[in-house]
Amino acid sequence: MEHSGSSTIEGDLAELIVRTLKLKIDPTSIRPEAPLFGEGLGLDSIDALELSLAISQRYGYQLKSSDPEIKVIFSSLRALAKAIEKNRTK
Amino acid sequence: MHETRLIGPYDSDDVVAWGHGTPRTAGQFLADARSLAESLPDRSTVLNLAASRYEFLVGFAAAILRGQVTLLPHSRAPHALRRIADDFPGSYALTDRDEQREEIPSIPIQIRPAPSSVPRPTVVPRIPLDQVVAVAFTSGTTGTPVPNRKTWGALTAVARATGSRLGIKERDRVTVVATVPHQHMFGLESSVMLPIMHGLAMHAGRPLFPADIQNVLAEAPGRWMLVTTPLHLRACIAENVLAPPGGLVLSATAPLALDLARRVERQFQSAVHEIFGFAEAGSIAERRTIAGDRWKPLDGVCVIQEETSCTVRAPYLPDPVSVPDRLSVGSDGTFVVHGRKADHVNVAGHRVSIGDLNAKLLEIEGVHDGVFVLPDEETGLVTRLMAFVVAPGKSSEEILHRLRACVDPVFLPRPLVCLPKLPRNETGKLPRESVDEMIRQWKEQNGHDV
Repeated sequence: MEHSGSSTIEGDLAELIVRTLKLKIDPTSIRPEAPLFGEGLGLDSIDALELSLAISQRYGYQLKSSDPEIKVIFSSLRALAKAIEKNRTK
Repeated sequence: MHETRLIGPYDSDDVVAWGHGTPRTAGQFLADARSLAESLPDRSTVLNLAASRYEFLVGFAAAILRGQVTLLPHSRAPHALRRIADDFPGSYALTDRDEQREEIPSIPIQIRPAPSSVPRPTVVPRIPLDQVVAVAFTSGTTGTPVPNRKTWGALTAVARATGSRLGIKERDRVTVVATVPHQHMFGLESSVMLPIMHGLAMHAGRPLFPADIQNVLAEAPGRWMLVTTPLHLRACIAENVLAPPGGLVLSATAPLALDLARRVERQFQSAVHEIFGFAEAGSIAERRTIAGDRWKPLDGVCVIQEETSCTVRAPYLPDPVSVPDRLSVGSDGTFVVHGRKADHVNVAGHRVSIGDLNAKLLEIEGVHDGVFVLPDEETGLVTRLMAFVVAPGKSSEEILHRLRACVDPVFLPRPLVCLPKLPRNETGKLPRESVDEMIRQWKEQNGHDV
């Protein structure tokens, strides 16, 4: 069963990623389970930093690499959306 | 003096590195380095890919003790590592415990837990100044990485000159924290060599997000020194990061905007200095950004204005080195930087020749024409390259996939736009106005603000 809240965020987040990182792809083409970094979308650490600022501004959630779950959080659109759903303050 | 100590004036129980587990003292560090050195294979070159700054340091020191040269890849991308491994046959890699590389035989760095007994006083090894200890790579005019050999004498001289310029004294209670990779020349010089030559502590991690930087600075024992880039500083200001007052910021890899430097000084209540350097010569000059735009060469460094370019001389450089930027040098030896030489751009601290990138693009089967361009405006943290390509029947995804195999990820275009043709003029050139017009049209069609 998919949580309806996080799937709404998934769509919203996909748009935020495409806009923030100036990717020339259709946000709906990002597969929710596919890796965001390395292969997959091929994002790098500067993208992670840039994305963290956009997420903080939009959802009020500050990402930390000291979070033991950080690798999981950044592993896919779905995982990132779930972390935002859980930690958002706006 | 033809040799100098591997590490500066530490007592054996002084801390060399914090973070990533228990602190490691100078005594433990020497034991770690010796123990690793004994287990290294008998090779002449090693790629040190350790993510932990402390483990990198142990690997670097172990290699030096065995007379091996540490190769500093400018990228961890598989093709970049494979290229270096091909150019330096017999190389192996030192990696973190959980990392295995396919491109090259790799050995994980194992640090044993600290012994419970007090480490016995150890003799600090001495290293010949002319020993080549590292090779940094720059992208050459043909796209092949050009190796720049670094002697122990050059690295120690730059570390000492930088420390003395920043007013750092031996055994100051300072913890060096860095957001830059230690495999980058600036990272190696300022976040590894500078602390170990002055007997300072380093933080073993590499905080990335603003919240990480805030935590590490708050926890750093003594005074903090942050080795970073304009990119990370902009992120810290955007997220309102706070730091204990009286620290020291050292920024490099791209010019720091005066306004940003002012805001960081105010918000951190700390001085913000910048380093100017490049892989061929290392760090050569410093300035406090809010004090003016002139760069002061480090002690011993001399920048000489010549007809078409400038060269750097220093006692530790065997030959004068040409500066890749356009400078004007004043009569007092200080200089102003006017920008990159034609054709060179800087993306997130990585220099590249647009001509090389274009050549790689045109080598791709099915690509008839194409150019990389760096848009003028500054949006977001870093301005990425764009590419306009003529490749009938090919999708931009296909071309990107091919580019990913031969270009560092940081230079991959955002976006790669396929067009029926490029607006070349009758001499076949692409005037800047036509390029700007292409960018403007693309943005208009894609709903970006123009």
